[in-house]
Amino acid sequence: MRKQIITTLLLLIASVATFAQSGKQKQADKATEEWRYEIECAGVGTDGTYLIKVWSYSKKPIIAITQAKKNAVHGIIFKGFSGDGRGCTSQKPMATNTNIEAEKADFFDLFFEDGGKYMKFVSESSDGNVDASDRMKVGKEYKIGVIVSVSKDALRRDLEAAGIIRGLSSGF
Amino acid sequence: MRKITTKIFAILAILIVSLSYAQAKKPTIMVVPSDVWCNQNGYMMVFDNQGTTVKIPDYKRAFQENSDLLAVISKINGLMAERGFPLKNMESVVKTLESESAENAMLTSKSGAGVVESPIDKLKKVAKADIIIQLTWTLNSTGPKKSITFNLQGLDSYTDKQIATATGTGAPSFSVELPVLLEESVLAHIDNFNVSIQKHFDDMFENGREIIIRVKKFDSWTGDLEKEYDGKELSTILEDWMAANSVKGRYNTSDATENMMLFEQVRIPLFDANGKAIDARGFAKNLQDFLKKSPYVIPNKLMMKGLGQAVIVLGEK
Repeated sequence: MRKQIITTLLLLIASVATFAQSGKQKQADKATEEWRYEIECAGVGTDGTYLIKVWSYSKKPIIAITQAKKNAVHGIIFKGFSGDGRGCTSQKPMATNTNIEAEKADFFDLFFEDGGKYMKFVSESSDGNVDASDRMKVGKEYKIGVIVSVSKDALRRDLEAAGIIRGLSSGF
Repeated sequence: MRKITTKIFAILAILIVSLSYAQAKKPTIMVVPSDVWCNQNGYMMVFDNQGTTVKIPDYKRAFQENSDLLAVISKINGLMAERGFPLKNMESVVKTLESESAENAMLTSKSGAGVVESPIDKLKKVAKADIIIQLTWTLNSTGPKKSITFNLQGLDSYTDKQIATATGTGAPSFSVELPVLLEESVLAHIDNFNVSIQKHFDDMFENGREIIIRVKKFDSWTGDLEKEYDGKELSTILEDWMAANSVKGRYNTSDATENMMLFEQVRIPLFDANGKAIDARGFAKNLQDFLKKSPYVIPNKLMMKGLGQAVIVLGEK
């Protein structure tokens, strides 16, 4: 009897923790959709890549770190990023149509789902290690800055092939 | 009856297929070092034009002597080719023009006839493209630190408008060599430049290609642009034609006298009524035919310059 109670309690705790985690993940996704993240240039990337620092918000630092990848790709497609005026150049967003996110919602829902295709184009450059100065507590949340590298040429080719953005030679 | 129906369906199918694959005329793009860069680096030819010193860029010598220029142009060409838009290589264009001139000079028929080349033909034989990417960079030095100020300007050869730009100064460095700084500059700026070009193309697909049309007259023609047909001056008739045939009636009459008219910012459709891709010449051909017909019956000569400029000279062929 006691064994059964302990097992039930353990299962309950595990499921509560899972729900809490998925709730936090949903919050992070909502923050991404609401453009609640910041991107800045972190250096000149190798040919075909952008090296950027993404600041993400979450109550759980680990979620902010994983969400950084999603925010990085989201930002490069829709938002662009600023430079620092010391060699780092500001970049405009890939999508020139400002309504593309709503117009192609079906595509982007799948693209940005957890473990979605966006993962193909982004990698963390610091192996998940966050510098102490890039980890801040803002109210009840953490604001965490992660440096990531985005394969922008491959990303652009993929979006062009899917008909989401126009290529330079489209129509000619 | 059945045979005729089948034929009609076949023709319709061919027409639909050809229309669905219709592609607009693709502009050519070429990277050209700017006059400022050529002047700063000593690649200029100096002439005395009746007492006035005139400087002209010596592109051939620049390509032969400056390996940094070659590297930058090669990098830009490579990146644009990756984007599916290969550029004209200016060095090759200059060489082709030279070899063609030599071939024309030597070419004779079996009877000994040579190739005809009018002064206008000779004038037109220059390296050209529909869009010029004007390239400038300056090496800045502050003590031992070096940095590059990089400037790319996309210029429409016909409308003279700047349609794209990307400019900025790179991070200063003590040790990095010039070719590396230049490569970094190209990588840092090419995407923003392409975004501007893309916007220009998007605008072109939405509002039509922007061109210039000039109307002139030969001195042998007795009429002029003030000549009246059914109580309307020819210049007004031309303006009416422009309003009726340009996209959304968009055009500007920038200059008009009895001898010439200049229509700027004329937006022409990318395809004609049959779905065939057209350029300035194709558009002006319709005006040429319109003027040849009654009640005007004005013989005229049509000349073109690339995709975006056409000249109609009234009075003779």
